[in-house]
Amino acid sequence: MFRLNPITLKKLRRFRSLRRGWWSFWLLTALVLFTFAAELFINHRALVVRHDGRWFFPAYGDVLPGDTFGLGYQWETDYRQLRERMRGDAVARERGDFTLLAAIPYNATENCYPGEFYRARPPDLEKRHLLGTDTQNRDIFARLVYGFRKALIFSFWVVAGTYALGIVIGCAMGYYRGAVDLVFQRVIEIWSNVPFLYVVIIIASLVRPSLGWLVVINIAFGWMGMTYYMRTGTLKEAARDYVASAQVLGASDARIIFRHILPNTAATLVTFVPFSVAGAIGSLTALDFLGFGLPVPTPSWGELLRQGTQNLTTAPWIVVSAVTAMTLVLTLVTFVGEAIREAFDPRKFTTYQ
Amino acid sequence: MNSFVTRLRVLLLVSFASLFAACSGSKDAGTDAAQSGDAPAPDNTAEVAAYYAAHPEFFVVKTPADLPAGLVWEDGADLPELGSPERKRGGTFQGRIQDFPRTLRTVGPDSNSGFRGIILDENALSFGQLHPNVPGPHRYFPGLASAWAIDLPAKTVYVRIDPAARWSDGPPVTTDDVFFMFWFFQGKYIQAPWYNNYYGIGETYTRVTRYDNHTFAVTLTEARPDLLGRVLGLRPIPRHFYRELGDDYVSRYNWRFEPTTGPWVITDAELKRTATARNHITLNRLADWWANDKRQFRYRYNPEATRLRVIRETTKAWEAFLLGELDAFGMNLAEYNYERLPDDAPLVRRGLIHKTTFFNDVPRPNYGLWMNTAKAPLDDQNVRLGIQHATHWQLVIDQYFRGDYTRLHTSNQGYGDMSHPTIRGREFDVAKAREYFARAGFTQPGPDGILRKPDGTRLSVGLTTGYEALAPVLTILQEEARKAGIEYRVEILDASAAWKKVQEKNHDITFSAFGIGVELYPRYWETHHSSNAYDQPFLEDGKTPNPARKAKVQTNNLEAVAIAELDALITAYDNSDNLDDMRRMAHRMEEILYEHASFSPGFALPFFRTANWRWVNFPEGHAYRFSGSPFEYGVEWLDEAAKAETLAALRDEAKTFPPAVKIFDQWKTKE
Repeated sequence: MFRLNPITLKKLRRFRSLRRGWWSFWLLTALVLFTFAAELFINHRALVVRHDGRWFFPAYGDVLPGDTFGLGYQWETDYRQLRERMRGDAVARERGDFTLLAAIPYNATENCYPGEFYRARPPDLEKRHLLGTDTQNRDIFARLVYGFRKALIFSFWVVAGTYALGIVIGCAMGYYRGAVDLVFQRVIEIWSNVPFLYVVIIIASLVRPSLGWLVVINIAFGWMGMTYYMRTGTLKEAARDYVASAQVLGASDARIIFRHILPNTAATLVTFVPFSVAGAIGSLTALDFLGFGLPVPTPSWGELLRQGTQNLTTAPWIVVSAVTAMTLVLTLVTFVGEAIREAFDPRKFTTYQ
Repeated sequence: MNSFVTRLRVLLLVSFASLFAACSGSKDAGTDAAQSGDAPAPDNTAEVAAYYAAHPEFFVVKTPADLPAGLVWEDGADLPELGSPERKRGGTFQGRIQDFPRTLRTVGPDSNSGFRGIILDENALSFGQLHPNVPGPHRYFPGLASAWAIDLPAKTVYVRIDPAARWSDGPPVTTDDVFFMFWFFQGKYIQAPWYNNYYGIGETYTRVTRYDNHTFAVTLTEARPDLLGRVLGLRPIPRHFYRELGDDYVSRYNWRFEPTTGPWVITDAELKRTATARNHITLNRLADWWANDKRQFRYRYNPEATRLRVIRETTKAWEAFLLGELDAFGMNLAEYNYERLPDDAPLVRRGLIHKTTFFNDVPRPNYGLWMNTAKAPLDDQNVRLGIQHATHWQLVIDQYFRGDYTRLHTSNQGYGDMSHPTIRGREFDVAKAREYFARAGFTQPGPDGILRKPDGTRLSVGLTTGYEALAPVLTILQEEARKAGIEYRVEILDASAAWKKVQEKNHDITFSAFGIGVELYPRYWETHHSSNAYDQPFLEDGKTPNPARKAKVQTNNLEAVAIAELDALITAYDNSDNLDDMRRMAHRMEEILYEHASFSPGFALPFFRTANWRWVNFPEGHAYRFSGSPFEYGVEWLDEAAKAETLAALRDEAKTFPPAVKIFDQWKTKE
């Protein structure tokens, strides 16, 4: 049976006892779950449609053309229109037809005011635009939520990538020392001096930047920081007696690194993760803000921030929404991070009395 | 027509505040001040003389006695005068530039910027200038020339330079400067192939003849209808300034201000100051400008100085304007006109800021979708026709531009009766679009709503643009086109990267436009001749498409149009000296292109709209038929007393002036 190491258990208990971090953790988890299930709450497609005795669940399926419901067009059904139609149609009501829309019946890229000018509109609870619309009549709340999802996916891959590279290279440097260490130190010094933003600008001007590209670029220029922590951690652990005895017993390098050294240095890494996530979200937002990020019309926080700053006086609700969302999330992540660091701080457990 | 010679036909680069442009440009400041003090300055006198001698057929020297008898000299004296006698001199005009200029050169690398327009196009005089405010055919008034005569059979224009004409540093303008201009533009030192080509011997001009210090003639290769404009539009180059011209032109002359024949100069003191402080640059008006009292010039260029502040962000410039730190602001964007400063805004209502809409009559930048017919599926006419009906320009015009713009109908609109009178851009119609797509084999809707061929090919095309500011237009088109079952993969690149991609013909569709100066008739060769589409467009019979043909890169045939019938028409058109024939041919060519359907015409702005503080005054009628902005001809003037009064009123809510929200439609064109 899987059982947690007592020290880890102790750390977890300690984490739970830090109220601020604990609640932040749950709130953040809720936000993450919400954004990944956002289709159920924010969607231009209906959740359930009953039409002429048949059931449809369009939210997660294929595009259903208007003809499916007898609307007389071949492009995607306008479910808000469909609902109005069903409500006004006595025969349909009799049949038991209905359309169940999401709480916010818009997606992140659609024009929510067809037939009207494109301009930012303030929050309108009646039309369910909780935070208003942006300059292209798109729902800001939808863009925030779906943009958050993009940011999370981005930061997950960036953090995974930078940590994987950083750990491998850092461990190699610390364990093998000598030439490997020397070479990588120089490589890292040189590589660190390549101006990240310039590279991103150059690449973004040449190709249509996709999420994958941005992840790759960020990993390529983000792995160096982690190597030094791993290097020192490994150097420290490798000098310990248990490593020496493992070597004497004939354990392979891989076994020593993965079974002995890594578990003992991992604690340091865990404390960095929340801050790396915050950093990755911040850098994606910054790139989008500068116009070097995700392709239009992908929802993103940076793009909202840019619109907001350009329309500070005419549409303050845009910048208020974006800044609030960003501050909230980054603060939560930081609280969690602080709590983890405190929980993992060894000084807590080695007290002299 | 003064823009004829100097302005290339370039993509309208909606220049974007590239955040780092200035950093990279600012390092070479003031280096040549040090340079010029070192080694003895080179002298190209012998080289230039040798070049003239080596091309005796081009550079011809004769005596005044050789002038043909019976020339009819004209001087455009009957044309109405520009500007207003009510104008006041003095004051500093406060303007804005987006970036500090990367060079003061007007040719060569980095010189094709907005700043060149300020120091050259809107400043330096050409021999004669197109009168911007008369109806009908193009008429010229004297600039550097005092009179001219045309000998059409000989394809020659004779010009007398005004003996009063002076360079801003003193010397008179002479025929030496005309000879030198050709040497300058034909040579490799300037690193400007377009000029090498246009001014090359036998390209546009075949001969320049000097009769005396102030009389010369230029002979052209062809007697085109705009013969006069091609000579009067020339601007001489100051011989005395370029004695040091050589291989190091680009660096040696990078920060030197070329003497000009116009009223605006950048003084040495200003150059020294801007070597380190680049937050603004000031142009000063020559107090003793040679044309001060000349007809057509005496009421113009009224401010004492023009101070151009470098403000990168448009929104920041807007705040500066509202504080009275900029005198005027372009209001073409709907957002500015209807949201930021609507007609009932306090500043407008109180009469502090005046708003003006002026309908002009110039060739329109041809915003639209240029489809690369060399690429599948755009090589299929049915797909192109489908795209024409799947692209909802009217929605963009009505709801994004709020009805300010009008629909573009062809890629050559705004040439008066040279433009096609009846062709109309195709309307958005999902049923028609789907029908055309079905004819092309895209019959089955996929799970994402995009049409597919039975073999699974999705109807998806790339849509590249360099106009970041117009990204919303593309997202609107993208969303609407989905209804017709086609996917546009919108790709917004940096302006120069997008243009490079298009020039290498790697695009599927590009959303672009060509900016064109005022010209008498449209051009077709660059954009639609098959020789600009493929290396060997046709097989030996001259009309069957060559299956092995390769796309020709670095040309403006963005649609890879290769139609034998069109080629023949273009050749005939380009060799015609009869405007009526050319009109008929132009209309026929537009019909062929309409059938071909590879250009989806977008939108055109039929006016310009500006807001200015009330201390800025304009002559009656505000601007001219060919104006691109109310400031283009330098007829505005500033009222210092009104400025003080207005700025005081800015802090005093109770103070009001007569409001002015005006529309000038005297030159409004019919659709």
